[in-house]
Amino acid sequence: MGFFDVLRGKRQLKKPVPTDRLFAMSTAQVTMELELELKSDGKAGIVFQPLATADFEGIVRDMEEVVRGAGSDTGTTIEITDDDFGYRWMVLVDPDFEDLVVGLNAVSTALEAGGYGDRILCAVFAFRDSAGKPVYWIYNYKRGAFYPFVPAGGAQQRDNERELRLKAQIAAELPIEAELERWFPLWGIPI
Amino acid sequence: MTVTMFLLGLLYVGLVVALLGSGVNGATVAIIAGGLALVNVFASDKLALAAMGARVVTPQQAPQLHAMIERLCVQADLPKPKVAVAQTAMPNAFALGRSPKSATVCATTGIMELLSPAELEGVLAHELTHVQNRDVLVMTLAGFFATLAAYIVQFGFFFGGGSSYGDDDENPSFLVLFLVSLAVYVISFFLMQALSRYREFSADRGAALITGRPSALASALVKISGGMQRIPQSDLRAAGRLQAFYIFPPGAGKAIGGLFSTHPPMEKRIAALQRLEAQLQGTA
Repeated sequence: MGFFDVLRGKRQLKKPVPTDRLFAMSTAQVTMELELELKSDGKAGIVFQPLATADFEGIVRDMEEVVRGAGSDTGTTIEITDDDFGYRWMVLVDPDFEDLVVGLNAVSTALEAGGYGDRILCAVFAFRDSAGKPVYWIYNYKRGAFYPFVPAGGAQQRDNERELRLKAQIAAELPIEAELERWFPLWGIPI
Repeated sequence: MTVTMFLLGLLYVGLVVALLGSGVNGATVAIIAGGLALVNVFASDKLALAAMGARVVTPQQAPQLHAMIERLCVQADLPKPKVAVAQTAMPNAFALGRSPKSATVCATTGIMELLSPAELEGVLAHELTHVQNRDVLVMTLAGFFATLAAYIVQFGFFFGGGSSYGDDDENPSFLVLFLVSLAVYVISFFLMQALSRYREFSADRGAALITGRPSALASALVKISGGMQRIPQSDLRAAGRLQAFYIFPPGAGKAIGGLFSTHPPMEKRIAALQRLEAQLQGTA
């Protein structure tokens, strides 16, 4: 942000990075499955702040219809839940990974088209390792980058070693968040 | 606000001219005050946390608070600040630190008990906007010359009187400097308060942008101000200098004239938040 913005104390909320980096997950998923023994859980979610306005609710309703409509062709189903922090989770379920990525992109595109792109928190892809433990990849729309999140069992514990190893293993195929202090955890992921 | 900044700048130029005119003593004062301002910028956060009895907490100790701040940081595209909790029933929150990377956000146990999650989120977003706007740095720098003038007024006689015992005629410029400093101190005090009020409005607006819920912050302000008035002021002696970065100033229960206060009156802040809510709803 510019010097004058600092002086005036005004700044707009950052909008999502306008790229198709989300689709990098499609190719990375193949590598993860073949080389890292990470299998997709067949679930991915997008998290956003629901605004209590008629306009926003209308857009979300339309978007749900579009995604459900598209789902009748692809077999994608959606579950919608609100978490303790007041954020809305739209979870897509589909064994075909490609459909998940396309579905998430449809949701974020609809929100952005309605002018609410800055309300999107992140997208989450659920994987399981060979031992059946959950591994998540989180996509930060505002930074256009992914980072791994591996809950370690136990209250608020995460397996940092595993996360850093994942970064090293997949960095060639996924845009990874460079600043480790922005690898924000999401506890209680409903997928 | 730009006018306020301009007037502050003009005032400080006047002070510098007076300082230069008065010779060596003024320069000595400037160096001392500059050193103190640097200490203020680089160490004040630790001192302030200690003064408030606040402790930095880990995600394990305060999982809800950490998770809430993390989500707000993602929305605001900020690095995560340190999170601290002060064990006091007084409902309040404040932000410290000169830059987003070294910031600390502190909430009291009182505010966490008083507010609903959405309201607390609004308050934390307000503090994160202070961090994002670098308000601590801006206010410290804006206050630098005011502090300098205050030192001259308070200790001026030592500097001015030392070399001229028994010979008053040699130092006519010192009296001028003293008077200019006094004027700078008084005027900059009011301008600083105006600047601080403006930045409170900015932080409220920024919080509404981050959370998308202006009404939640408005309702938090109502609750906090009610709580503030009920709770005695006596244990706040150490907190005076921190006031500018509180979500709500500790002395606000008393009737303070508009010019003297670092925070805008609550009614005005709530009215501004309601205008934002109306814009959001498309009814304004």
